[in-house]
This record gives sequence, structure tokens and C-alpha cells, in this order.
Amino acid sequence: MTGRLLVAAAAAAIAVAPLVASTYHVLLMLPFMAYAVVLLGLNLLFGYAGLVSFGHALFIGIGAYTGAFLTSHCKIRSLEVILIAAAALGALVAAPVGALCVRYVKIYFGMLTLAFGMVFHTFVLKFYRLTGGDEGTPFLRPSLLGRSLEAMPKIDYLVGPYYYYSLAVLVLATLCMWRIVHSPFGLCLKTIRDNPAKAETLGIGVTRYRFHAFVISAVYAAVGGALLGPPIGNVDPTLAYWTHSGNIVFMTLLGGFTSFFGPVVGAFVFIYLQHWVMSVVPYWRLIFGAILAAIVIFAPGGLLGLLEPRRAAVRL
Amino acid sequence: MLSVREIDVFIQASHILRAVSLEVGAREVVCLVGRNGAGKSTTLRTIMGYLRPRAGRVELRGQPIHGRRTHEIAALGLGWAPEDSGIFTDLTVAENIEIATWTRRGGRPAAERLELAYGVFPVLRTYMARKGPEMSGGERKMLSIARALALDPQMLLLDEPFEGLSPAIIPAVSDGIAQITRLGHAVLLAESNIHHVPEYTTRLYVIERGEIVFAGTPDDAWRDTTVLRIIGGTR
Repeated sequence: MTGRLLVAAAAAAIAVAPLVASTYHVLLMLPFMAYAVVLLGLNLLFGYAGLVSFGHALFIGIGAYTGAFLTSHCKIRSLEVILIAAAALGALVAAPVGALCVRYVKIYFGMLTLAFGMVFHTFVLKFYRLTGGDEGTPFLRPSLLGRSLEAMPKIDYLVGPYYYYSLAVLVLATLCMWRIVHSPFGLCLKTIRDNPAKAETLGIGVTRYRFHAFVISAVYAAVGGALLGPPIGNVDPTLAYWTHSGNIVFMTLLGGFTSFFGPVVGAFVFIYLQHWVMSVVPYWRLIFGAILAAIVIFAPGGLLGLLEPRRAAVRL
Repeated sequence: MLSVREIDVFIQASHILRAVSLEVGAREVVCLVGRNGAGKSTTLRTIMGYLRPRAGRVELRGQPIHGRRTHEIAALGLGWAPEDSGIFTDLTVAENIEIATWTRRGGRPAAERLELAYGVFPVLRTYMARKGPEMSGGERKMLSIARALALDPQMLLLDEPFEGLSPAIIPAVSDGIAQITRLGHAVLLAESNIHHVPEYTTRLYVIERGEIVFAGTPDDAWRDTTVLRIIGGTR
């Protein structure tokens, strides 16, 4: 019950933020909400199915490039269309990639996803005509719910309509994921993480369940990736680079992969901490490396794990 | 119900089972008895699809199942309670049992299956909200069997259900299994201690070094000197 109140309070705080907080902080909320969508999906794979992907930037890239391509080359500006196309393309690419990757577990799964991520990164870097190479592709301002909003100043657009649009997508994504992990499907994923061999004896086709989790997480990453584009205005290959995959795994660990909202909290803390550290010292990666080490050693359950009663052990 | 015919099973290069055959009829309780390392678990694991026989057949209701995937075999109606219980420790007792009503559809409705599972081991009702690490070995064993039962199987494979349990809890587990057999399920039970072989056992196989060396009723087994030399121990 208190959990539900907390979530409602957090959603209300996000909703009123543009009215009270400074523009700088409100703008930082945009990547947060986009990453939150990505991480809800990633954690279905990581926290619930026990598979750590080091290649999910691939799907973020797919979502972002879908939006950039549609707005720049196809004259399609509707964000609804962009999000649906991103989700569909994410699923389409995730199907063959996932079908191969989920046959492996642990480090082999991680390395295979990393390899596919690198293949995609090279693709967007080298196919200059299609993607603009290292210069990237502009993500033109999308229209929201059929309204063009082209005349609005950029900042007003981002902290106003686009902000609430992102929030609506995040809320919807959260509700869907909540249903997914609390369905029999979600529980079956947990049994697979606990003990795949024994899950089989209950008639659970382990590979098929992992595959479905992979595709769902890819769809979430693609939708989140598409949301990342408009605030930047340009999509380039760094979005698809493997360090980006590493960042989202870091966010998940930071917030705690053992709880539903852990990764979302992780995204929030990561983004604000990163910007704050960057404004103070030039070497934020050094600081973040130390934080990551401290989390793995002292708080394997992440920030939200610290709030929970002591567990016997957190298993990966 | 289940028939295993002349299966040869290898693990890596080792020849573990040699021409093992056994039959379990509908409503029968069959015991597979043998010392540690004789091949009991290997036989059960082969039936369950974890291992593939190099030769021979395994049939469930006349349908060949060797070479099929474990989850397919489970879905055909073979419930399995492994030696190490294999319960899902991140799930509560209630979830552990409930999950079996989702993974295999058809047959009895979910509510009826849960009723059966808890009916056999009523003590589990008091632990419904507990998770794996808070349970004793005997409770895990009961949960493992109850979960297999909630799958609504025609037949149950129980791998050493009394192994490593305190003598105090053995009667509860044993009563539960007796109740399952009265419900009309066929049961194949592996056991290393002939003194644990339940009195309601219809037939008994003795396995030694991967070969079936005796097949018959429990009474015949008690009269057979070779059997007693292998697994009799001392009274």
C-alpha cells in the first residue's frame, strides 16, 4: 500500500515538475523518462529472466534512427506513428537476434548481444547514405496527437507538450510492464531464472519464454530510444555504441534489478548525478566507475535494495 | 501407462544404463530400488527427457517420448519431483504450486488441482506465503510433490522422496504419497532403502550397476537372497 502511494507521489511530482522546477532540471527529465521506458524492458530480461544483455543500445538505436529517418526522409512527423514504427521494427530485428541469443546464457548471452550491438553500430556508422554516418540524422520535431507545434520555441515545446507526452508514454509502459511481470508469464520467467532445468519439468518451454522476454524488452528499448531523439534533435551512432549498452546496465544495477522500480530510480539518479558530477569535475567516468564498484561490492541490490529488509543473497 | 524398453544410456563416454526395461501400469505404484549410483536417477532423468537413450524406447500411453524435450514430456502429463526438490526459492509456496496450473492447461480446473495438492499435504496451507529459504527439507519435498500434482499429471515420478529427511517427517510425506496413489495416479518411485519401500507398492524393480536384476512383487523381493544381498542391508 505504501508502495502504491509512493509511486503515485512520484508520478505527481514528475507531473508538476515543469511548473516549479528550473528549465534545466525539467529538460533533464526528458532523457530520464526515455531511459525509464528502456529500463523497464531491459529489466524484464535482466531482473526477471536473469539474462544480462550488453547489446540493448542496438534497440535504442533502432528506435532513435526510425524516428530520425521518418522525420527527415519520409516527411512523417507524427510521434504516434514513429513510436509504433519503432516498436514494430524493434520487434522485427529482435526476433532473429533473440532467437539466436536466447539459446545461450550468462556470459555467452552477454557477448552475443554485444556482438550484434557492434554489428549494428558499424552498420549505422558506415551506411552513410541511409544514416548520415558519424554525423547522424536530424530528428525533426515530431507532431503530437496530430498537432504540428512547429511554431513553438524549442524549449517551450520540450518542457510543455513533449514533456507530458513522454510522461504519458512512461505511465502506459509502466502499467503494461506491471501487468506482464505479475502475469503467469512473469512468474514463469522467475522460475526459469531460479532453475531452468526444473522449470522444464512443469512444462515451461524455457527457450520460448526467454525469446518472448527478449522481444518485449527490445520493443521497450526501441520506444525509449525514439523518445530520446527529439530533445537532442539529432541521432548519431554513439546511441548505438556498446558503452551505451553498458550505461543502461549500470543504471539497472544502480537502482537495483531485484525490484520493479529499481531500474527507473537508477535512471533518475544516473542522469542527475552524471550532470552534476560533469559540472563539478571533468572526469565523471572515474567517479562513476568507483560508484559502480561500490554498488557491486556493498549494495548488490542497488539503491532500492538498501531499503528492503536484508536478503540472504542476491543472485545474478 | 509408461513403458521403458531396453534403454541404453551414456553420460559422456560412460555406459550408465544397460538394456533397462520397466513397466508402470495405470494406477500402479512401482518402486525402483537400488544402491547409490546404481542408475535410479539416471533412469528417471532419461524418462523425463534430460538424457537421451542411445538405444531403446520410452513410451507414455503408447506414444514414444524419448528424444522429446523435457517441457513437452511434462506437458504430456508426467509430473516429476526431483531428488533435490528443485523448488523455486524466489517464489512463495502458493506461487510454486499455482504455477503448475498455468503451465499445463486442460484437464481439471485450477481450483480443483490446488485443492488436491493442498489436500495431500495440508501442512503446506500454513506456509503459503513463505519462500524457499524458510523451509525445511521435508517441507520442500512436500512442496515439490504437491507442485508436480498440481500439473494434473496421469503419472508421477518421485526421485527418492525420503532421502535426507528427518525420521519425524517421513510419515507425513509417506501418507501424502499413499493418498496420491489412492487418487488413481500411477507412481514410479526411486528408493535406495528397501525398508522405505511403501507397503502399497504393487511391483518392484531392483537395479544394480545399470541393469535390472529383479522384477516382481515386494514379497518376492524379500525372499530373494540376491536382492537382499544388494539392497537388504540389515533389519
